[in-house]
Amino acid sequence: MRFNLILVTIILICSSTISTANPGGKEDDVRSRDCAGSCHSSPSTNGQSTADLQLLFPDKIYAGLLFDMMSSVSNVDVSSNNMVGHNLLVNAEGAKDIPSNDGWEIVTDPNGGTNNFVQVVDSFSTFNTVNSTWTLRAPSTAGMYELYLAVQHGSPQGGIAMTGISTPFEVEVLEVPENLPRLAPDWQPQNSRLIGESTTFSLETLFTDSATVELKNGGEITTLEVVDGEFTIPASVNEGVVEWRVIMEGEGPVQTSPWFRLTSTVPGWEVDEFSLYAQGFGLMLLFLGLVLSFRNTTPRENKDYTHEIQNLQAIVATDTTPEITGPPIPESGLPEGWTEEQWAYYGQEHLDSIQGGVE
Amino acid sequence: MMISAPTLHVIATELTVGMFALSGVAFLLCLIEKGPESREAVAHWAIIGGLLATPLAIITGINSTPSDGISDPLLANKVILSMSSAGIALGVLINRKLGTKVDVKHSSLGLISVGLMLTTAGIGGEYSRGETLLYFVPKDTVLLFPIWASIALIILGLVMISKSAVQHRV
Repeated sequence: MRFNLILVTIILICSSTISTANPGGKEDDVRSRDCAGSCHSSPSTNGQSTADLQLLFPDKIYAGLLFDMMSSVSNVDVSSNNMVGHNLLVNAEGAKDIPSNDGWEIVTDPNGGTNNFVQVVDSFSTFNTVNSTWTLRAPSTAGMYELYLAVQHGSPQGGIAMTGISTPFEVEVLEVPENLPRLAPDWQPQNSRLIGESTTFSLETLFTDSATVELKNGGEITTLEVVDGEFTIPASVNEGVVEWRVIMEGEGPVQTSPWFRLTSTVPGWEVDEFSLYAQGFGLMLLFLGLVLSFRNTTPRENKDYTHEIQNLQAIVATDTTPEITGPPIPESGLPEGWTEEQWAYYGQEHLDSIQGGVE
Repeated sequence: MMISAPTLHVIATELTVGMFALSGVAFLLCLIEKGPESREAVAHWAIIGGLLATPLAIITGINSTPSDGISDPLLANKVILSMSSAGIALGVLINRKLGTKVDVKHSSLGLISVGLMLTTAGIGGEYSRGETLLYFVPKDTVLLFPIWASIALIILGLVMISKSAVQHRV
């Protein structure tokens, strides 16, 4: 039995494999690059990605203003799910490396969220380049900054988690020219909506006399009317992304905002929580009542000791231990101070000592 | 230094699952009538520990979800299964307190409670990591009752509990 247990244990241990990464990723989030110990097994089991990583910026980036940039991943073979995690960072040290540490704000990531780590599923291969668009707000202080693109992905054979990071990309953030028509610094676009719902945006601009909105749906671009700073994007009937941008005119040079993306999704699963908790509570009481009704009415472990008692009685009844009587009591009577019981036990010893002349 | 809800949830769930798993092993020994005499005490004390840790696991779990409230069928199934398991476990403990013998029926009920709680933990694994050994369980299907049915369940449960209490006094 013990040998079999040891054998089964050894077989189980030998049949285990080293876990690598999280197949299917860990969802988009704001993440530092230093996640090797948590989401990609241990650093010792990681491999070095062969991917060529590029970041492409517009010619001029103004402090505190929005702009589009593109990340580019090429020359890499990945696992069968064709997923690569893109991580936008401000240093390669694995600490304090998320863009907000340097004042960057991710307004729209390639998946329509606001995360610096996104999982992109596309046709990644050594013969293909996959581009992704990010919309960022530049730091509010002009100067030179660095941005990095890191990737995490599986390998075609599986078993190894691959990581890689680009060389630093220098970005010059310029002071905003006087009277430049632009969107207000604290204005935020909406990134997602449910299908079947139209979306009304309220624009907040500075130094802008008039604005028009261009809507790109597939390859077609249409112009939307902006009335009192508001415009409406029609409802979507399918899941997907539409892009739009604002063209602002004023005293300064005409400015065009980056393409903003509006993702339409199907409504998520919903449940009336009160009803669910009531059901859970009801089931708890029902099962409690059911189990109580199953109670065995026989008292627990009331052992029948009748047999043991009978045995003891039989032992007592058949007890043949001879009664200790001692030697006959002398005619002169018991020695002074002795009781009959003492005589029964020590009388013979007393007589022997008298005969031996000890006393 | 604040500890985040997901970290607390890991602690609470490991306490709960560990206690229930220990209780399950002990109930299994009770069922097959093997092992040390202490198996009965271990089974019941461990399930008490698991039940005490369960509310903490539920509360931290709700606070750990990225979305507001219950937005996934897996979470709804976790609520239903964990509360059902808690009901059975409470019943097993009360029965034992009232003097029920630890026989096949009692041990089986304990094992059912443990099984439901471990299934709940398995669903949690699928929700957070997308993987589970319980791939054959239809976890995406939720049996949701209308509110009147839930109220009927509550009334029925209370009636059964009170009836059982009356029988015990008699």
